[in-house]
Amino acid sequence: MTNELALRDNFFKKYHAEEIQNCIQCGTCSGSCPLAPYMDYGPRQLFALIREGDMTEALNANTMWFCVSCYNCVVKCPRGISITDHMYSLKKLAAEKGVKAPKMLHLYRSFNTPIEKHGRLTDVAVMAGYGLRHPGAAFGNIPLGMKLAAKKRMEFKARTVDNIAGFKKVMEKANELERLS
Amino acid sequence: MKYGFFPGCSYKGAAGYKESTEAVCRVLGIELEEIQDWNCCGATSYWSTESLKAYVLPARIMALAEKQGFSEIVNVCNACYSTLRKAQEKLSGDETLKEKVNLALAEEGLEYTGNFKIRHLMEVIVNDIGTDKIKEHVKAGLSNLTIAPYYGCQLNRPWADIDDAHNPVLMDGLIRAVGAKPLENYSAKTECCGAAQMVAYKELCVPLNRRIVKDAVNKGANAICTVCPLCQLNVDSSQAGLGLPKIPVIFFTQLMGLAFGLTEEDLMLNKLLTPFKTAV
Repeated sequence: MTNELALRDNFFKKYHAEEIQNCIQCGTCSGSCPLAPYMDYGPRQLFALIREGDMTEALNANTMWFCVSCYNCVVKCPRGISITDHMYSLKKLAAEKGVKAPKMLHLYRSFNTPIEKHGRLTDVAVMAGYGLRHPGAAFGNIPLGMKLAAKKRMEFKARTVDNIAGFKKVMEKANELERLS
Repeated sequence: MKYGFFPGCSYKGAAGYKESTEAVCRVLGIELEEIQDWNCCGATSYWSTESLKAYVLPARIMALAEKQGFSEIVNVCNACYSTLRKAQEKLSGDETLKEKVNLALAEEGLEYTGNFKIRHLMEVIVNDIGTDKIKEHVKAGLSNLTIAPYYGCQLNRPWADIDDAHNPVLMDGLIRAVGAKPLENYSAKTECCGAAQMVAYKELCVPLNRRIVKDAVNKGANAICTVCPLCQLNVDSSQAGLGLPKIPVIFFTQLMGLAFGLTEEDLMLNKLLTPFKTAV
């Protein structure tokens, strides 16, 4: 068995993704996906690649990073496959394998960092983190930011949960359990 | 009626959502009691990056709610709503996962059991209060307004148990109950606004919003009505440069407030990017 096939089987097992094998390749998912026209492969083709064992191609595709989590494919899939969940799993696996660091992963990290620190989020905190890596996007959002600030809709101060010490202990324990698994 | 309330991170900064929700709930006698010490639900960002913490975040909110004596948690954001429901559904079918989540929560003396209902405020108003009761409070005539009911994606999907997944009608009925006309055959009512991808891939997501806006404008709507802060922000802010007539994007609570005779100031309509002048 090649490494790619082992990786695929491990993916099926670890992320409960064996149901991808049930896909009948009808293409309803790709047809109902709002961003499919911009994907390297629509979900249907991506699942075919995975079944064929081409994990390198699948994990390097932009498909999962363009998934907007609208679940339109999930409610339409005639085989009842949780397509959106498999997109989440593929993002985690791609990040784990370090195959690509697309813009969405930077955005997720900019989103998660203030949450780990304060428990709650502000738009400003996300954009500040993301802007460090993608100044163009941050710059492009300045006009909107100014409009929102003028309408007193921007929060510049971090928002923190009341029991921040307890919150951090819970998150640290979760990290520990995750490392063990 | 009293409910545990999970406002979520984007509620406070949303254009008048907080003010209009509080005002409308006062009129209807709905008590939304904020869950103390709530944290961010994690949303799609944690689903996309973390296997365990994606469950721990929503589970902590639900465990806090339970400890504080609530049996129902009301959300005002589609993403929060779907995140909490998804966590609840997955945890109910996976004892090992639930055990791990509870090991983490135990650090703070919390426990997740899963014995409560996750709701969205719009659905609470329609199903628990009911359209007859709503009609009793209508003071202003809104019959000259045609409103496009925009549900977004994560309210009815993937479960589709509070409404139809492809053609939801709950908000249509609410719009009718307050005396306005719901836009018929609004095909874009469940199209996605692009959500967080709007930040990283704006050039791909603006066209999604164009469909939502153009469908409403072409069919003669005076405003688009939303039930989610991110939908509101994306559909409202992406209109600059579309080359289409601008259409205001309001929250369902603002529309209800207008019908109940509340003022534009009460409902903070001035916080919208595209102004909404009712001229009723």
